[in-house]
Amino acid sequence: MSWLQAILIGLMSCTAASTIACLGTTVGNYTLNRPLVASLFVGLILGDVSGCIQIGIPMQVMWIALVTPGGTVASDLRAVSYIGIPLAYVGAKAAGMDFGGNDAQGLASSISAMTGVIGITLFYGTAMMNLIWQHWGWAQLDKGNLDCLGKVDVVLPLISHFVLSFLPVTLLCYYGSGAVAELFQSLNTEVWYVKAILSVGSVLPAVGIGILLKSVVSKTSDLIYFMFGFALAASMRLTLIAATVVGGVFALINYQMTMMKATGAVGGASADYDDEEDI
Amino acid sequence: MKKISKKTLNSSFWRWWYGNLTCFSHEHMQTFGYMWSMLPIIKELYPTREEQSEKMTTYYPFFNTEPQIGSIVVGITAGLEEARANGAEGIDDEMINGIRAGLMGPLAGIGDSLIVGTYIPILLGIALGFAEGGSPLGPLFYIIVWNATSIWFQKFVYFKGYELGGSAVELLVGQKATAFRESVLVMGQVIVGAMAASWVSISTNLVITQSYDAETGKLTDVTLGSKLDGAFPKILTMLFVLFAWWLMAKKNITPIKVLLLFVVIGFVGSVVGFLG
Repeated sequence: MSWLQAILIGLMSCTAASTIACLGTTVGNYTLNRPLVASLFVGLILGDVSGCIQIGIPMQVMWIALVTPGGTVASDLRAVSYIGIPLAYVGAKAAGMDFGGNDAQGLASSISAMTGVIGITLFYGTAMMNLIWQHWGWAQLDKGNLDCLGKVDVVLPLISHFVLSFLPVTLLCYYGSGAVAELFQSLNTEVWYVKAILSVGSVLPAVGIGILLKSVVSKTSDLIYFMFGFALAASMRLTLIAATVVGGVFALINYQMTMMKATGAVGGASADYDDEEDI
Repeated sequence: MKKISKKTLNSSFWRWWYGNLTCFSHEHMQTFGYMWSMLPIIKELYPTREEQSEKMTTYYPFFNTEPQIGSIVVGITAGLEEARANGAEGIDDEMINGIRAGLMGPLAGIGDSLIVGTYIPILLGIALGFAEGGSPLGPLFYIIVWNATSIWFQKFVYFKGYELGGSAVELLVGQKATAFRESVLVMGQVIVGAMAASWVSISTNLVITQSYDAETGKLTDVTLGSKLDGAFPKILTMLFVLFAWWLMAKKNITPIKVLLLFVVIGFVGSVVGFLG
């Protein structure tokens, strides 16, 4: 990887830095930070769009839903997207793996888990550094300088990004890619522990789905709907969109029932029913 | 009668859309984004610097919610600020901050579960299908559809909030809204089930017995996986997802620790020949 490529990837990581992204929530965090989208840009930078997207797919599945309630992150995807994807790609290429094959997919998932941990450090670091700018901002507000707000909210955090996103990502991509390529060139995928590392990948997406499940399940009995959806796809072979439609039917029924309960319509109906039984 | 111009409202909206979390810290979260977004409105409504500074203190208190659906709160306070500038009764710091604080929680719940937990994963799911084999169509689909719908939605709720002012609150936390939220979650639960079955595949090739085929006279391996799948297709995958959920939801273990635990499980499972 050349310096230019590493620098471009470093810049991308700033635009996409999780909730603090310098391109904002919608474009930064929820677009450029997603591994699937990132794989397109990393592919353009490294000159192999199709290969990088294939590497990005298992990483995206793993982190399909990343809810950050109250600023506690499960992972900051900037590291997965802009350290994990380039390094996994370089490694898979050096080892001569088929990007869509099981080995490459397993490698991508394993690297994705490791880089997720780096991401958390970067996230908390950036949030802490922003405290400096905010401290300055409060002092300015006390003096009646309202125009400092734009500087505090938009301009100064760029320094945090430079220190805690651009520098680590660029350096890790540049020096890491050389090391990874060297390591993987001589990699024998038949050795038992290498085999095991590559197969770790199949288990990890379960965690991503588990995070997602946690965000939609509020009581344990809700799990029956989850199993229902699971059976729709696994046993009845419904596609995701078809399952969405079936889920929509249950949502509508649930809404009508809740509203009936609320307006007391059910009470009236059951009273009628009782009358009939008496007869 | 003071009226906020369309241009100023637009500027306030785009500032929120862009800057809601750009200066995130755990101490103030979205507070600075909120103040920056209110700045053009306050400057337009109040002529003197002293007054501007004084009104800005209303927005000093902590603010944090799911920022995309949260743009409705900024819209609501824009409407309230306009009414206050026109001398409306009963609109003061306390009332505005009561509304802000009262909406933060419920809106975060709706936004996190519906936008981040349901809508985005569905879009990504469709995009993953398009991306198979490394096609850029997948990411392009997601970039276009997500940004177009999400920006439209945020702008819509901002201006809805501005129009309705304080009366938007009942709409957001009322009985209908709660029933609606819970019902969409039912759909979410079904979809997550389908996603788990479509994208995760955990199987075991552990041989438990051998079966004798009388016609060919050959012994064939019977794996635990095939027996389990005969009972409920992909049940092992489902159990792993439920296990991950149970650890996080019931045991309060952080996702990253669960992830590391699963790395160990995957590694050991593969070495002993259970998984694979």
